[in-house]
Amino acid sequence: MANSTTLLISILLPVAFAVIVFLTPSKLRLLRDAFSFIGASIVLCLGFYLFGVKNAELNIPWLGMDINFDLRLYHFNSLIIMAVSVFLFLITIYSFVKMKEHSRAREYYTYLFLTTAFVNGAVLANNFVLMVFFWESLLVTLYGLIVIGNKEAYKTALKSFILVGLCDFCMILGIGILWYLTGSLNLPISPLEPDTNGLAALSCVLMLIGALGKAGVMPFHTWIPDAAIDAPVTVMVFITAVLDKILGIYLFVRISLDFFVITMNSPLSMFLMILGALTIVFAIFMTFVQNNFKKMLAYQGVSEVGYMILGIGSATPIGIAGGVLYMLNQTIFKSGLFLSAGSIEHRTGTMDFDKLGGLRNKMPLTMICFVICAVACCGLWPFNGFVSEEMVLHGAMETSGGIIFMIAGWVGVIFMGASMIKAGNSIFWGKENKELSKVKESELLITLPIVVLALLCIVFGIYNYFPIVTFVEPIFFGYAGFFEHSGFTAHTLNFFNPVAITSFICLLLGVVVYRYGWAKNNKSAALSSEAVRNFPVLKNIYNLAEAKIFDIYDQGLKFLKALGYILYYGVDRVVDFMYEKIIAGTVRVVGAILRFAHNGYYANYLAWCIGGLIIIVAIISLLS
Amino acid sequence: MLFIFIVLPLVVAGLMPLIGKLSKKVIPDLLTNLTTFFLLAYSVIVGKQIIFSGVYTTKFSWFGEPMNISLSLDGFSLLMLVTISVVSFCVTLFSIDYMEHYGHKANYYSLLLIMIAGMNGLVLSTDLFTIYVFLEVAAIASYGLVAYGIGHNELEASFKYLMLSAVASGFVVLGISIIFACTGSLTFSEVAIGIHLVNAKYLIGFCAALFLMGFGLKAALVPFHAWLPDAHPSAPAPISAMLSGVLIKVSGAYAIIRIFLNVFGLSYPLSTVLMYLGLISIFVGAIIAVGQNDMKRMLAYSSISQIGYVFIGIGTGSPLGIMGGLFHILNHAVFKSLLFLNSGSIERSTGTRELDKMGGLAKQMPLTATTNAIGSLSVAGVPPFNGFWSKLLIIIALVQTQHYAFAVLAVLGSVITLWYYLIIQRNAFFGKPEEIWRNVREAPFWMSCATVILALLCILIGVAFPFVIKTFLIPATNILASGVSYLYNFLGY
Repeated sequence: MANSTTLLISILLPVAFAVIVFLTPSKLRLLRDAFSFIGASIVLCLGFYLFGVKNAELNIPWLGMDINFDLRLYHFNSLIIMAVSVFLFLITIYSFVKMKEHSRAREYYTYLFLTTAFVNGAVLANNFVLMVFFWESLLVTLYGLIVIGNKEAYKTALKSFILVGLCDFCMILGIGILWYLTGSLNLPISPLEPDTNGLAALSCVLMLIGALGKAGVMPFHTWIPDAAIDAPVTVMVFITAVLDKILGIYLFVRISLDFFVITMNSPLSMFLMILGALTIVFAIFMTFVQNNFKKMLAYQGVSEVGYMILGIGSATPIGIAGGVLYMLNQTIFKSGLFLSAGSIEHRTGTMDFDKLGGLRNKMPLTMICFVICAVACCGLWPFNGFVSEEMVLHGAMETSGGIIFMIAGWVGVIFMGASMIKAGNSIFWGKENKELSKVKESELLITLPIVVLALLCIVFGIYNYFPIVTFVEPIFFGYAGFFEHSGFTAHTLNFFNPVAITSFICLLLGVVVYRYGWAKNNKSAALSSEAVRNFPVLKNIYNLAEAKIFDIYDQGLKFLKALGYILYYGVDRVVDFMYEKIIAGTVRVVGAILRFAHNGYYANYLAWCIGGLIIIVAIISLLS
Repeated sequence: MLFIFIVLPLVVAGLMPLIGKLSKKVIPDLLTNLTTFFLLAYSVIVGKQIIFSGVYTTKFSWFGEPMNISLSLDGFSLLMLVTISVVSFCVTLFSIDYMEHYGHKANYYSLLLIMIAGMNGLVLSTDLFTIYVFLEVAAIASYGLVAYGIGHNELEASFKYLMLSAVASGFVVLGISIIFACTGSLTFSEVAIGIHLVNAKYLIGFCAALFLMGFGLKAALVPFHAWLPDAHPSAPAPISAMLSGVLIKVSGAYAIIRIFLNVFGLSYPLSTVLMYLGLISIFVGAIIAVGQNDMKRMLAYSSISQIGYVFIGIGTGSPLGIMGGLFHILNHAVFKSLLFLNSGSIERSTGTRELDKMGGLAKQMPLTATTNAIGSLSVAGVPPFNGFWSKLLIIIALVQTQHYAFAVLAVLGSVITLWYYLIIQRNAFFGKPEEIWRNVREAPFWMSCATVILALLCILIGVAFPFVIKTFLIPATNILASGVSYLYNFLGY
């Protein structure tokens, strides 16, 4: 019972702190920061406590009609809650400096705590309606957090609201179909088989769109690079690098384990893997040519979602485990990268590669952490990215047609490496920009979270047995077919296997790609991607992509505009014409005739009366 | 007891010219308003109690001798009495300030009270001849009131009204005579039975046509409407409100409904004629209204259009249609008198009734602008104002009785109504403020008071329409929907 109450507290406590922070006047910054710190600390402790508790349930009757306030804690969502609480804590510390001068910092902290509450609610919910309720609430805080950014942020906020809202809508539709099929809104349900049941397949795809769209899969990713420019960097870290990935992948895993039976090599699995592979390749090509660090990281994040989908979509135990591990590791190194980007932005005020350079001596701590996170991101042994990447690729290998998906993964590795080298060289090495001569290392509160994350990259890489056994493996307890695989660390830990070695070679290839472009373009790191950018066929694709041809939001807007145009001239104007010319015209003409008839002559009027009388007499006589 | 409704205003009216010699303003104002207020209170409170104990009939006796004059109060009469009282109270309130510059207030009040007495008598009477007498009482007072400004237009309008009304009265008397010849009686109940016995279908049909023409002229049904657009705008604004708000309904609609439904019984031909007359009125009134520039004239044409809704509802003969028609009588009385009073406020403040000369008055006359907007929306049938519910009832009744074309056209008529009320609202109140109206001020207290009461009534009746239906309309509808049999049971037999 005590633990059931804790579940409720894990939702209500962040809300309470959101209210407290919101009510603290903006002028009392220190007080607000103190409250935020206390709140984040308590949430952190609570997160660890819940991870220790593991199993708890809370049932409160709510709306009736099968819709109850049911919360259930088990290993997987306790892991999520703990991870979120850790990131909340790090981000809060980081924000004390980074958001210090921001005029809307009060709203920012409020939304931060609210978001945490909603995430906790969404993952704990043991009822579809309750989950949707929290899930949709997240949409609101997402909007609110992005709007806090620069002047153009409201456009991006709207874009993300609409795109994510579209995905959420698909998810609700999917849940609706699922409800129709199973007749229950309460979890757990017995998993459906989308391979044999068309409606179940539709429901599965719709829910997958909801989950993956949240995580930022192509083609629903387009708001992320825009947000990287417009939203505050802390928001980018917390929302896009951490929460959306965690939540999206959490739901994805729940879908593929608890709601539907996705078997290996089934059409759905193939569809997911193709989607993952395409996301990896397209996003990584976009990553390489970016000239803004945050935007590059955003595209890279999209590409990484591709790996997770590839792994989990393979429907093999190792692939799924790899996907989940990838998610955990990615949140660590990607938020590390974003936070170092924030650190650089904090001191230099810019994120453009061509304006940065030579910062390695001025910001050594940031540089070191960046390098660690970057190599982890590229999947270099022995950092944490290596294990998860290998597991995903091994999972892909087990499926039929696996080699194609592996090649896609390796292409990703090549350009991941190239783009990270490009970023590192542009920022920390190369020619120093004279305007940046007075730049110093960031404050402790900014570097501390980055250092923590960088250390985690190393620890989880070298001692990768720990996250796998402690975090990932227990997720699959109780699922038939997974338990016997509990030793899936066996062959991935070994660097000397063909897959890992190929990956390493690909990484070297990435260096070559970078080096080639660097040499070709005046030894400028920022322009090193120009060689790829101007590669014959790629050039056209890039041009199209930069014209936002592949952006479903922009295309959707164009379509709606065209539809509006057609409706305006095809329907609205026609109706207007009918009204204007036919009805209004008739009224005018008849009115004029009638007014002419009312000429004020008594005899005239009397004649009407008598005429009317005669007609009425005639009619009554005829009818009776 | 019922005689108070007739005697009190008549006595006060008779005293008024004498009082006018003593006091030009204060005492006539006070006395008239007290009278109308008393009638309002009396009709609501006492009338309600009478209704609870069934139909109440009193016979007039003179020194113990019965005079064969009887008055009776039933649900339908009560509804009309309340309507008359509400409007006349607001009108007298409005007149306190408005009639200042006309002079001879006492005479004006005297005429107004005679008109009220006539209308009260009309709705309480139980035989055809009494109806005729009170019809003429109210009509003669109204001739005088239309001509009250004694300008060229007023006199011409009044004369035209008088001449057409005289013809109508002639036909009514002709109809009554034929009925008397056939049945040997004039009381409703005896006539109803007599008609049943004599079996003179065509003769009775002819009488019905005569009544339709006579009372239809009073009610301004097309094609007997031509006097109204001249007469109503010519009268002082409170009198226009009185004429459009209640007189055309009492002396026209009430008489037709009472005689056709309770005495003749609504046969198929009568029902058809009523509905078509209603429909034609709706459209002719609305279409001409659209092209008007004189605000009061536009309102006058709108009255023709709205009275069409009443008749189309009654014509369906179904209880719901009758209820809708009666509800629309009440509602139209409230919002049309409100709109006419507002036109008076505007005319008094700006000196003009031409819509194209007004503009941007909302800033100077916020109260009038608001109340006018409420009235306009009500008359156009926009929820939640009162006009919406009565039109809705009528349209539902039309659909229920499978007059689909009528239903569609009724809605269309409502759209046109909204159209010309938006014209008023835009031209008079919104838009660019005209330079010349910069110094215009809001209407004086009593005038605003009257319009605000009516505007509040528009909202109240709209919001609390179930209460109004339960209290006033269902008893009234029951009387009418039971048709002729009602008279067999209650009156005389």
